[in-house]
Amino acid sequence: MVTLFAHNNTRSECVISLRAIGKNFPTPMGTFDALANVDFSVRRGEFVAVVGQSGSGKSTLLNLLGGIDRPSSGEIVIDGERLNGLSENALSVWRGRSIGFVFQFFQLLPTLTAAENIMLPMDFGNRLDRRARRPRALALLDRLGVAEQADKLPGALSGGQQQRVAVARAMANAPAILLADEPTGNLDSRTSQGLLGMLSDLAREGQTVVMVTHERAAIGHATRVLTLADGRIVADEAAIHA
Amino acid sequence: MLSPRWRKMLRDAWLHKARTVLVVLAVATAMIGAGALLDAWALVQRVTSATYRASHPVSATIKLEGVDEALLAQVRALPEIFAARARSSVFATVTSNGTRVTAELHALQDFEAQDIGRLESARGSWPPRDGEIAMEKSALELSGAALGGSISLQFAKNPARSLRVSGIAHDVSLPPGWMDHVVYGFVTAATMAELGASSSFDELQFVVRDTALDRDAVRRIADKVRLLVESQGKHVSGVDVPVPGQHAHAAQMDSLMMTQGAFGLLTLLVASFLIVNLMTAMLSGQAREIGVMKTLGARAGQIAAMYLAFALLLGVVAASLAVPAAIAIGRPYAAMKADMLNFSIDGYAIPWWAIALQLLVGCLLPVAAAVAPIMRACRQAVATALHDPGIVVAGGGFHVRRWIAIPGISRPLQLSIGNAFRQRTRILLTLLALSAGGAVYVGADNLCSSVRASVDLLFASQRYDIVLRLADPQDAAAIEAIAARVAGVERVQGLASVAAHVATADGMPGNAFAVLALPHASPMLLPTITAGRWLNASDRAALVVSRALVKDEPALLPGASPRLLIDGRSTEWTIVGVIDAGPQKLAYAPLPTLDERRSDTRVSSLLVAGGDSSAAPALDLIARLRTEFDRAGVPVAGSQFVGETRRTFEDHLLMVVQFLGVMGWVMIVVGGMGLASTMSLAVLERTREIGVMRAIGARHSTITRMIMAEGVVIAVLAWLVALPLSVPVSVALADAFGKVMFSVPTHVIPDAGGVFRWLLMSVLVAVVACAWPARRATRIPTAAALNYA
Repeated sequence: MVTLFAHNNTRSECVISLRAIGKNFPTPMGTFDALANVDFSVRRGEFVAVVGQSGSGKSTLLNLLGGIDRPSSGEIVIDGERLNGLSENALSVWRGRSIGFVFQFFQLLPTLTAAENIMLPMDFGNRLDRRARRPRALALLDRLGVAEQADKLPGALSGGQQQRVAVARAMANAPAILLADEPTGNLDSRTSQGLLGMLSDLAREGQTVVMVTHERAAIGHATRVLTLADGRIVADEAAIHA
Repeated sequence: MLSPRWRKMLRDAWLHKARTVLVVLAVATAMIGAGALLDAWALVQRVTSATYRASHPVSATIKLEGVDEALLAQVRALPEIFAARARSSVFATVTSNGTRVTAELHALQDFEAQDIGRLESARGSWPPRDGEIAMEKSALELSGAALGGSISLQFAKNPARSLRVSGIAHDVSLPPGWMDHVVYGFVTAATMAELGASSSFDELQFVVRDTALDRDAVRRIADKVRLLVESQGKHVSGVDVPVPGQHAHAAQMDSLMMTQGAFGLLTLLVASFLIVNLMTAMLSGQAREIGVMKTLGARAGQIAAMYLAFALLLGVVAASLAVPAAIAIGRPYAAMKADMLNFSIDGYAIPWWAIALQLLVGCLLPVAAAVAPIMRACRQAVATALHDPGIVVAGGGFHVRRWIAIPGISRPLQLSIGNAFRQRTRILLTLLALSAGGAVYVGADNLCSSVRASVDLLFASQRYDIVLRLADPQDAAAIEAIAARVAGVERVQGLASVAAHVATADGMPGNAFAVLALPHASPMLLPTITAGRWLNASDRAALVVSRALVKDEPALLPGASPRLLIDGRSTEWTIVGVIDAGPQKLAYAPLPTLDERRSDTRVSSLLVAGGDSSAAPALDLIARLRTEFDRAGVPVAGSQFVGETRRTFEDHLLMVVQFLGVMGWVMIVVGGMGLASTMSLAVLERTREIGVMRAIGARHSTITRMIMAEGVVIAVLAWLVALPLSVPVSVALADAFGKVMFSVPTHVIPDAGGVFRWLLMSVLVAVVACAWPARRATRIPTAAALNYA
């Protein structure tokens, strides 16, 4: 069986630590505070759902966690790396090693097959032997139940299949953290449930997952729910499973 | 096996194959133009520098009476001299197919000499024996003779003799006979005597030992030889020192090649605009993909490498198409250029450096052009890239639409005009590409008009149709009376002439030029003054010099008082004016002064004006004049129809202009491809907009017309931009051409016809370039167009 995770032990270890995070954007009407004084930490193996209304700061928070945006104030330490001081290039290298992204609209590269999409981050990271990349991509696809789609282009796959391939791609370099931005936002309810169950399984196996969602049904799969309103965490609670 | 990122690049290229192919073809076309010029230049350069030098070209020619072996031995013994030979030259007349052509015959003391002015046998036997002639290969066609056949030659008043054409020789130091309208031939001294000319050699030619010497240094050696000759009581009538190591036309050809090369580079620049447009559009379309790849861990350098590799691939494909095509075109072009220099291209192997340079430029040009858009795309923040909608329709045309919202222009047309301005950078590059082509085309057209007008002006000053060269000097009044008896002669005037040299500060003679004189206020000449003034009745030792002579002797400007050596005597003159006489190096002096200083009142040439200056009547008149002069016992050595001289002169100039025009065509083709690429991107960007228009009732023909109209708007704009651009291009071309080609033209003449021809061509290019994007626009299903993201 393929090794999916970089770290599958020490569940108590803190992998995400945010201290007094603020993020503001200049607008024609003045500065807009997307996030203000946000503090929280996540332990390894947690499945965190970040919820809130549109404009509450969910996506901004996810972007900061993924190092694709920078905070206006505060400190972010993820998987032992302090992001504030990293250059754009160093952030790219760090992302390739530590973060797996799942997007709402899948964002598979249309001219690459499913397997090639998964091999692409391995290619950029260049940590895995060249000959081992395709077997690992196939194993990930198999693990996510879409092995038979390996050599098809994204355009030939259903939405659910594309999102599974996107999750497999996110796991390509065995990242410490999986970040998912509305992963079910473009799927029907049955496919959504299948995908959420899969993320839940990954978390149980030790994968840290942070998922932004506005769907009530998705929250039930998380182990912890962070509620944002006007850029602040207004609730941080363990999820109550039905 | 290729890694996924490289597979992605290849598939992306395939996905946009039409546009990719267009860019490859544009780059290849530009490279073919520039590469063919480079290949031709490399081949011509090799023969002009290597072959010419290998022939041991003559360093100087000293004219005297009777060169003998003893004198030659003394000259050869001088330490500065590498080799010396004796030669004699005469002008004769060849009769070919009923027309008479001037022949220049050379007799050499030793035809087989390898160390001075080496002649090569091209065909037949070599050297010529007594009673035979070896023709210079560039003049064979002009002479109308054939190898093994015979040719009729007449020298002065002697009866014509028939000589057998025994061989074809090649003399790289001579200009092409077909170009100069002179039949060059080689005969023995005995044959010279048989024709009635002197059998003794009257030219002493030598090659200096140090081939690196400049012209002044060679002149000093020539003066030393002159003094040696004169110390033996022999009279030196002239010394000629050409520019060392350089063929007479080589500098002109080099300059011409460089002018054309500049256009080649401009074409490459135009092609690079196309690459910038392609890469910008491609990167805009993939902005989100770039964001995703960065999210997956790709560094900016890795992404830049992918797109730069794509640009390199375009270059490699373009270069692999262009290099063989450039060789195929460059070889015949080189042969033509070499023919104009009277050289033969011995081998057609293109030098390795020329091919390497083309490959390097071909591969690196797309990379260099793509660097800026790629760096811009790679620097975009990940968060911004992830939210980038990809190819978007800019709204820049809105203001233009408002601006042109006038009654009478239909709304679709207003929309088309506005659409043309939506992507400003792209439209700017497309306009630059098209207008650069237009500027060169219009510039070449203007140059063509300028050349014609300048040649008109040049020959308008010669108000005569025929020049008769007499075998011996004659009294002017007597021969004018003979000519006046011939039917069809309206005006006639004897032309006095003498060879002169500028005496340099150290007393050495410069190169020979002709000083001519006509009676004051002669109706035969209406000179074009470029500086100073023309001669007046009160002038004594005044001179008016030609621009070509000033180019050779820059000190001869109005106000200068040079000393001239005429018949061995040094006298002072004052320059009062400069005239435009084309390539001729000459000066005009008052007739009484010239007669006094040359100690002769006779003339050797006669200028004749007839009633009709067209070819047939003029040639008939020449025949009648010759008959009359024969009857009067005055032998005619040669005749020249000015109209024919003008035609030959103009043809040679225009041939070069047409080569320049070809580069304009290449640029137009590349610019047209740029427009096609721009319009295909515009259609891609507005796929959804087109879907909306079709959903609300726009027909295929309406969509097609709108896209065509947008292309035509761009073409008309490019035409407008090209007009002011063509002015400096025309001036630069005329200036460069004037310097290169015999100081002609001197005036820039705008050609209105060319300007409108270019407008018509621009519109045609636009219609052709838009045909494919328009077809594509009408083929996208409305539903798919509406859902296009």
